[in-house]
Amino acid sequence: MTDDSELPPAAAPDDVPATAAAPRDETILAQGHLHPAVLLLRLLDAMRQVAAPLLIGLAVQPWFLVLALIAFVLQLGTAVARYLTLSYLLTEDELRIREGILHRQERRIPLDRIQDLGFESTLLRRGLGLVVVLVETASGRGVEARLDALSRADAEHLREVLLAARGVRAAAPAVDAEHAAAAPGDGTGDATREPPASPTHEPEWYVHRSTPGELLLRGATDLRLGAFVVTGFAALELADQLKLLSGAVGVLDTVERWLTSLSPALLGVVLMTFLLAVLAFGVVTSTLGNLVQFHGFTLLLRGTVLQRRFGLLTTRQKTLPRARVQRVTIEQTWLRRLCGLAVVKADSAGGSRGDGQDTSGGWDVVVPLTRLGTAHAILPALLPGIENDSFTWHKGSPRLVLRMALVGVLWAAVATPLLWWRFGPIGAAGLGFVPLWTVLGVLVYRNLGWAAGDSFFALQHGVVGRTFASVPTAKVQAVVVRQSPLSQLLGLAELTVFVAGGSPTRLPDLTLADARQLSASLVERAARSAAADW
Amino acid sequence: MELAEPPRPTDRLAGRVVPYWMLVDGITSLLLAVGLWAFARPWLADNWRHWSPGLDYALLGVSGGLLAMAAVMPTLSYARWRYGFLGDLLLMRYGVVFVEERAVPVRRMQHVDLMRGPVERLFGLATLVVFTAGNEGSAFRVPGLPLERATELRDRIVQMRGDGRL
Repeated sequence: MTDDSELPPAAAPDDVPATAAAPRDETILAQGHLHPAVLLLRLLDAMRQVAAPLLIGLAVQPWFLVLALIAFVLQLGTAVARYLTLSYLLTEDELRIREGILHRQERRIPLDRIQDLGFESTLLRRGLGLVVVLVETASGRGVEARLDALSRADAEHLREVLLAARGVRAAAPAVDAEHAAAAPGDGTGDATREPPASPTHEPEWYVHRSTPGELLLRGATDLRLGAFVVTGFAALELADQLKLLSGAVGVLDTVERWLTSLSPALLGVVLMTFLLAVLAFGVVTSTLGNLVQFHGFTLLLRGTVLQRRFGLLTTRQKTLPRARVQRVTIEQTWLRRLCGLAVVKADSAGGSRGDGQDTSGGWDVVVPLTRLGTAHAILPALLPGIENDSFTWHKGSPRLVLRMALVGVLWAAVATPLLWWRFGPIGAAGLGFVPLWTVLGVLVYRNLGWAAGDSFFALQHGVVGRTFASVPTAKVQAVVVRQSPLSQLLGLAELTVFVAGGSPTRLPDLTLADARQLSASLVERAARSAAADW
Repeated sequence: MELAEPPRPTDRLAGRVVPYWMLVDGITSLLLAVGLWAFARPWLADNWRHWSPGLDYALLGVSGGLLAMAAVMPTLSYARWRYGFLGDLLLMRYGVVFVEERAVPVRRMQHVDLMRGPVERLFGLATLVVFTAGNEGSAFRVPGLPLERATELRDRIVQMRGDGRL
């Protein structure tokens, strides 16, 4: 270790030779090529590519056939060349992927940077016994390298050896500390660092396995339904205003004439049926979507690594080292809260929701849906040690109701005159902002709570739904206490906790004193565990 | 976890940051005001049905407000700005309308930048920017530092991290 100022001097002499004189003889842990069946996939790809020119060639212009042939040969040629030249090699330090004939390239990915070794397999690949291996790093770019495709056995072997090798590296503190400093995603601190994974086969613990019933419920309680209906109507209205429907105006006129010819009761029935049909369509599609996406969802713990397997058509297998978990949230939308159901999500270093190419895979979902009690019972598997931490829950300041009421007054003060001027006395409805915001304030106050344990920080917030979040204090990057003008007036403050992955965690409407004390103790703990990581 | 009495940072920015901010904000406000009168007003007068000459006063108010902000805000902002090191922490407290208190452990910083714009250089000022891991809001900046002070802070952070690897 090159650290010389902060550490006790005794530590340095022991550590320095360990890195400096580390022998560089490389042991090859695993190596291989793509699976030959990939050529079949590529052949299909090439055939699909030339389908259009081929058809044109046959039907219209014969010289398109030549074009199709050239394209086909080129496609297949590059595919074969790629297949022949691509090889991977795993040593104790890094994963190397080499490819190319004219333009040779070798990519070396240090083991410590590999955050996630995911598997994906489409229906076709599954039939051929193939998986796509996605090497994910903490760089925030998501997928760093892609091996399309290996045989399932090779892929499993690679992952196994890789995890074991990384476990061994974590056991050597000098080497690990050096890399922790060098790798951005790693500098986030692993005070909860696990004992090294043993190279032998480790037992797997099933943390959670989703039943089809749970997945059905997930689809049925998907609130995007509501949004779907609302946006559907909004889109119709907008289209109407923009006269986009003028093309279909004849049809609409017919429908309108038909509708107006009906009796009011019958009209109501027709409209209700239409609405229900839209709703039912939403329920069915989202339920089917959830069933397909999360089919057979299994969360298991293997040593220190969490693993998720799911999918019906495209199967996905994603790993998440437990030490990289930055925050775990248990989310309940209002409908799910009514039913006592919750979704568990985990943010990890190097990725944020809505960023990167892999958002379709539901990658931050750890449990698609389960009972609230089960969700809380699973927490220790995701955040080891949380079961030993004692939490004393505190409420936010009741003054937040006053703050919300004042916000309501401000809104009313702006909206009422405008509405009155535009619509006459009916604009007095703008005054409704005051009671509405007050009620919102009461709801927020009832849901808001926080607790600071020794190594975890937990909070709960929501209006009609509710979200519980837990952050290991060792992962805290920075803390901000913010006061808006109204908060300054009322002595309130908003606390924001930054971690290396996901969006910041916000805790609104604490008293200023609480917020400052909490911020100070959080950041002090973060600094202490950062020093311990060094 | 028991809650400790939190400290507040005490160091102030260089006084000459006030004229620097006034200059920069003043130029921005001036450009906006000119844009309003030269482009927005004629366009509105021609194309907006509800335009009335009385709205000229509103526009005048907006322009005046912009310039007044440029004149007043720097002083207020300077009066509020505090930063400082407390052991392993970099603390800052600032903001006129929204007051923010930020705390970053030095060992959580990924890298440190010194930024000096052309006008900033004329005033002999520098901005210290520290980055932590993460995507959103991972940059923390301390503006208006004299160059020597900024360099000293940067070196101190590097030294506190202990490895000169920043």
